[in-house]
Amino acid sequence: MPDQPVSRRRFLQGAATAAAAFSIVPRGVLGGEKGAPPSETFACGLIGCGSQAGEDINSYIKHWGAEFRVLAAADVHYGRLSNAKKRWGEQVELYTDWRRVVERRDIDVVSIATPPHWHALCCIAAAQAGKDILCEKPMTKFIAEGRAVVTAVKRYGRVFQIGTSGRFGAAKSPVSRQIHKIMRSGLLKSCPAVHIQKGGFPVRRYCGLVNAVPEPAPKELDWDMYCGPAPVRPYHHDRFGWNHRFYWDYEGGALADFAQHYMDPFQWIYGKDDTSPVEIESLAPPAHPECCTPWAWVELKYADGLTLVLDGNEWGPRYDRKPARQLKLEDLDAESQEKLKALPDPEPLLTFPEAVRQRKESGGHVEAAHRAITIAHLANISIRLGRKIKYDPVKEEVIGDDVANRLVYQPMREPWHL
Amino acid sequence: MPASAELKALVEQVPDHDKGGSYVNLTPESGEAMRKLTAELHKGGRDAVLGIIDMLVEPKVGEPVKDIKPHYALHMLAVHVTGLGDDKARAEFATTLASQLGGDRPKAIQKYLIQELGVCGGKEVVEPLGKMLLDAELCDDAARALAAIKDCAADVLLAALPQVQGRGRLSVVKKLAVLKCEKAAEVFKQALSDQDPDVRIAGGWGIARIADAPAADALLKAADGAKDWLRINLSDAAMSLADALLAAGKKPEAAAIYAHIAKTRTDPAEKHLKEAAERGLAAAK
Repeated sequence: MPDQPVSRRRFLQGAATAAAAFSIVPRGVLGGEKGAPPSETFACGLIGCGSQAGEDINSYIKHWGAEFRVLAAADVHYGRLSNAKKRWGEQVELYTDWRRVVERRDIDVVSIATPPHWHALCCIAAAQAGKDILCEKPMTKFIAEGRAVVTAVKRYGRVFQIGTSGRFGAAKSPVSRQIHKIMRSGLLKSCPAVHIQKGGFPVRRYCGLVNAVPEPAPKELDWDMYCGPAPVRPYHHDRFGWNHRFYWDYEGGALADFAQHYMDPFQWIYGKDDTSPVEIESLAPPAHPECCTPWAWVELKYADGLTLVLDGNEWGPRYDRKPARQLKLEDLDAESQEKLKALPDPEPLLTFPEAVRQRKESGGHVEAAHRAITIAHLANISIRLGRKIKYDPVKEEVIGDDVANRLVYQPMREPWHL
Repeated sequence: MPASAELKALVEQVPDHDKGGSYVNLTPESGEAMRKLTAELHKGGRDAVLGIIDMLVEPKVGEPVKDIKPHYALHMLAVHVTGLGDDKARAEFATTLASQLGGDRPKAIQKYLIQELGVCGGKEVVEPLGKMLLDAELCDDAARALAAIKDCAADVLLAALPQVQGRGRLSVVKKLAVLKCEKAAEVFKQALSDQDPDVRIAGGWGIARIADAPAADALLKAADGAKDWLRINLSDAAMSLADALLAAGKKPEAAAIYAHIAKTRTDPAEKHLKEAAERGLAAAK
């Protein structure tokens, strides 16, 4: 493969011959009664061929003891695509339209490493096509996308793993396991814990350029397809590539980019994989319409009293309303402590390969991932509107604030929909 | 309306961005000043809003951005009016924005006004937004804003549909589906046989969104005859419809769809569909 942009014609040829190109029998086709694999080799399709492409494959398949082979790759940037064969082998068929990857019958697992405004649509389509899914974080750009992904994954019995693994470590910690057990026991009447995530958010770096001079889009980039469900803005290189994180159109700044890492273990420890905060308040200057701007902290309260704080620790005053306070066994009365001892310890979390083999939920499963990134989205809604919001975690709607709900569900550009 | 010198001076109080081009240089104090400035601008009423709009400049390739401050100021106002608890004030602001649609202003500026109407607009602006559906360049933006506003938007989308051309038709059908417009049942059904595959997908999605049981046969027929991406989407629309009917207690209607999918999706590559339909069938008993 020459180290230069690949022509559209070449891609079309690749698509046309794709059916004859694969050499791995797909697990879903030859699998046993529950889709058990004929071998330990996963046939993979990559959607997005940037710097994160294949990272989750390396992390969640190879690292956890299974082989994989990439058969197809898609990207809107021809230059990136041309590197896919170098990285993954000559068998890889290349596509500029990710839908062609999803259509292929021989793909078991789709690995999604596009900018986040594409994640939900790719996940949903992969589930609809019967693929298991590895999705880079953040899982979604807005809350309603997450619910749609959960619905699709559950409807078709797919295995989903989000691209972060903090909970696997947390689940091995005795202290975390005890908190998890207390929280899931139902023995705690109210939760006095205050969990403060202090720092770890590059707040100052993750601010978009308000003076970005429109540029001609590079010839090797399909800018319209890159924008996808998001509004089409004049091209600027800062909006493409790594810095897309700084713009509301594609992600949601430091909160969206990092919160999934921190909230993934937090949610497991505190047993919040099936719910969300009910009150959200933030300290930040008025937000810009397109570019992410700095923020100081966000306080999120759960219905049971648990307080979660995301303290940026880079801008403005530090959070000082409450001190951090971990949940302790002594927060239960003596009788409840005895009852807790009789309860079983939490089940070990399944790795992605284990989950695929057993057709069970992976440790970083879809509902957990959705609820984790919902925390970041709620925080950003409060920041963008400059006000406290109240959230119904069952209906997944902001209470009494129609404008806030326009950020919960953001209508997409045609032809895309949830 | 040209911005007055006083208004220009106020807008100039929006902080400068930093040397790198971002607003990382904001401080808690400047943030508070921006809120006070927004309230001050709001006191200027319609004239101030029109003046700020007049300060907006169409972005052009290779040319420096010339309207950073009024651009920011208009958005701060749009958010500000949604947090006052004063619906009259919000509607007045939105009406002023909407009054600038359809004229000679560059389309890029009209797109920005539509975007901000998606933030702060209500039923008072659905009519002017509806007119923008007939403008090929603004149609999708207007449709998205209408879908965000929700209130009274479906009727406007439905009324405009016969006059909307080209890809705009897809935008409108999709947003009728977003809004779960039951009056559009026939539109969705007809869309299943549209020449444009994306419109067919939109039709299937709309049928599922409104849980239109009588359209099930047409949807299944369209799904059965489709291939690749279209088949994936229409099959999912059929499953979504069945799930919606089941949730609504319409077990026989749901079961009929599940049974059809379970019977017809025999290809190993569609095993997940067959299994999902069988689970649905069991739940519908």
